[in-house]
Amino acid sequence: MTRPPSTPPDGSAGARIDRRFAADVEAHRRDAPRFCPACARDLGLATEFWEGDERRFYCWCATCGWTGEITTTGETARGHEPQD
Amino acid sequence: MLTAEQNEELTAVEAGTPMGEVLRRYWYPVAFTRELEEFPVKRVELLGDFFALWRSPSGRYGIIPEPCPHRKASMAYGVVEGDGLRCPYHGWKFDVDGACTDQPAEKDNTNFQERVRATAGKVEELGGLVWAYVGPDPAPLLPRFDVYVMDGFRDIGWADIPCNYVQVMENAVDPHHVEHLHGRYFEFIGRHEGFTAPASFGKKHQRIGFDAFQWGIIKRRVLAGASEDNDDWKVGHPLVFPYNMRVGGGGIHQMQIRVPINRTTTRFMLYTVHAPEGYEPVAQQTVPDYEIPVFDERGHHVVDYVEGQDIMAWVTQGPITDRTTEHLGRSDIGVAMLRKMFRQQMAAVAKGEDPLGTIREPHERIDLPCEKDKFHAGGAQFALDFCAMGSTRYSPAIETIRQVHLSAADRVAADHEAGRTSFLPAGGIGTATLAPDTSAQVDSGRIPR
Ligand code: FES
Ligand SMILES: [Fe+2]
Ligand SMILES: [Zn+2]
Repeated sequence: MTRPPSTPPDGSAGARIDRRFAADVEAHRRDAPRFCPACARDLGLATEFWEGDERRFYCWCATCGWTGEITTTGETARGHEPQD
Repeated sequence: MLTAEQNEELTAVEAGTPMGEVLRRYWYPVAFTRELEEFPVKRVELLGDFFALWRSPSGRYGIIPEPCPHRKASMAYGVVEGDGLRCPYHGWKFDVDGACTDQPAEKDNTNFQERVRATAGKVEELGGLVWAYVGPDPAPLLPRFDVYVMDGFRDIGWADIPCNYVQVMENAVDPHHVEHLHGRYFEFIGRHEGFTAPASFGKKHQRIGFDAFQWGIIKRRVLAGASEDNDDWKVGHPLVFPYNMRVGGGGIHQMQIRVPINRTTTRFMLYTVHAPEGYEPVAQQTVPDYEIPVFDERGHHVVDYVEGQDIMAWVTQGPITDRTTEHLGRSDIGVAMLRKMFRQQMAAVAKGEDPLGTIREPHERIDLPCEKDKFHAGGAQFALDFCAMGSTRYSPAIETIRQVHLSAADRVAADHEAGRTSFLPAGGIGTATLAPDTSAQVDSGRIPR
C-alpha cells in the first residue's frame, strides 16, 4: 500500500514552537536588548546564548556597526573575583 | 449533526486542546517489542507530536520529544549509550527521565543542564508491544487488559489509515453497519469476484442497546433468529474508551486498537489472541506483526475482507468527516452516546479529574466482557470464517492459527468422549452483563422491520 505522508504542521505559530520551552521564549522576548547602547537606534540582532549560569546577548547594530555582549545580572551587578 | 466548532473540538488531538488533553491521559502502543530488539531507537508520531523512543542494552526504555533542546536535531537518530540517548549532532545526552546528563562542549554547569531538560514520558513493555504515556504526572498504571496477558497464540495486524480516529471509534458503537457493510456489501463483492461471503454477517438487527460502564460502552444486539438470551445481547462487547474496541468469539479474543497518530492519521491495529477451549499452548518467541492492505495498485480500497471494508467506510467519510452535514437516524444512538462521553471526559479533565478508565491500583488482569457465541454462528465456524474472511488471512502465522483452532476442536471432542473438562485459557467475561428483562441504558427496543 502507499503510506500516507505524515501531516504537515498546520502553519500556526503554536504548531512550530517547542511547547516545552515556552517560558524561555517569553524570557527572551522580555529581556533581549532593543536599542543600540552606542547610537540608540533599533538594534539589528541580539542572539541569546547561555554560559554557565548567565544569559548573554551577542548584539550587533545595523546602523553604527557596534558589536558587543550584554549580560543580564538581575539586581546585583557582578564584578570579577579579585585576581590573585 | 454537530456545529463546525463542536466537530473541531471533538476531533482534535493536539496538546493544549480539550480533547488533546484527554487523550494525553492514556497509554498507547508505540512499537512492537521486536522492533527495538532489532534496532534500539525509533521515531514515533503520537497525538500530533514526534518522539524518540529507545531501549537500552539493559532493557530499559525511554521516550522524549524528538527535537533536541540544543538546536533541534532529531533525537530519533540518537546514539544509545548506557541507559541514555545521546544526540547525534553535538552529543548532548539525556537519561530516561529526560534529564540532560552531558553537554560535551560546555563548561560543567548543572543550572544550564536543568534548563534544557527534555520532557520524558513513561514506557513499558506488555504483550509484545511497547507502550508509552506522554501526559502529565502522576502517570496512571498501564491497564493490563485480558488480551495482553492471557494464554493463547497471538499476532498483530496493522495499517496506517488516512482519517481521524473519532470516525473509527464511532464505528465501534454502530452495530447496524455489520449487516450491510459485512453482509449485503460483502455478498455483492463475493458474487462479482467469485467467492462466498460468510452468511452470519448478513443477519438483520432487531434490537440494539448500549450501556456506559467503567471502561467505556458495552454494545448489544439482537439478530434475526436470536433473542435477548443470546450472548450478542446479554454479554455484548465493549468500546474501551477512548481508542479501543474489544471483540471476539469462537475462541478468538481481540483488541481493535486505533491510535491517534495525528489528526488525520490513525494507526489501526488488530491485536489477536487465539485461545479456544482445548487450546494446547504453542511457544512464541516473538509476536508476529504484519501490515494489512488498505489500497490496491489502482488506488482502490481492498474490500474483499472484513477490516478492509471497515477501513473503506472510515476513510471515505473523509480525513475529518464533516459532521455539520451528516444525517443521523435512530439507529445512530450509540454514536450520539459516544460523543457525549467524549465531551464529559473533556469536562472532567478540565476540572482536574481523572478521565474514564484511568487506573491507579496495581492489578493482574482486567477482564472485559465479550460474547463467546458470536452471531450465534457456532464457535469453530466463526473462528474459521474469521481467519479466512478477515485480516488474519494476511498473517504470516495463518497456518499455525488454523491448526490451533482445529486441534483444539479435536481435543475438546476427545475430552468430551473421555468425560474430561477441556482447558480454557483465562480471560474475558463471557457471562451476562445485563440482567434478564432489563433494558440497556440506551436501547432501540424492538425494531419493527
Ligand atoms: S542539536 Fe542535539 S546536541 Fe546539538
Ligand atoms: Fe465493521
Ligand atoms: Zn548603533
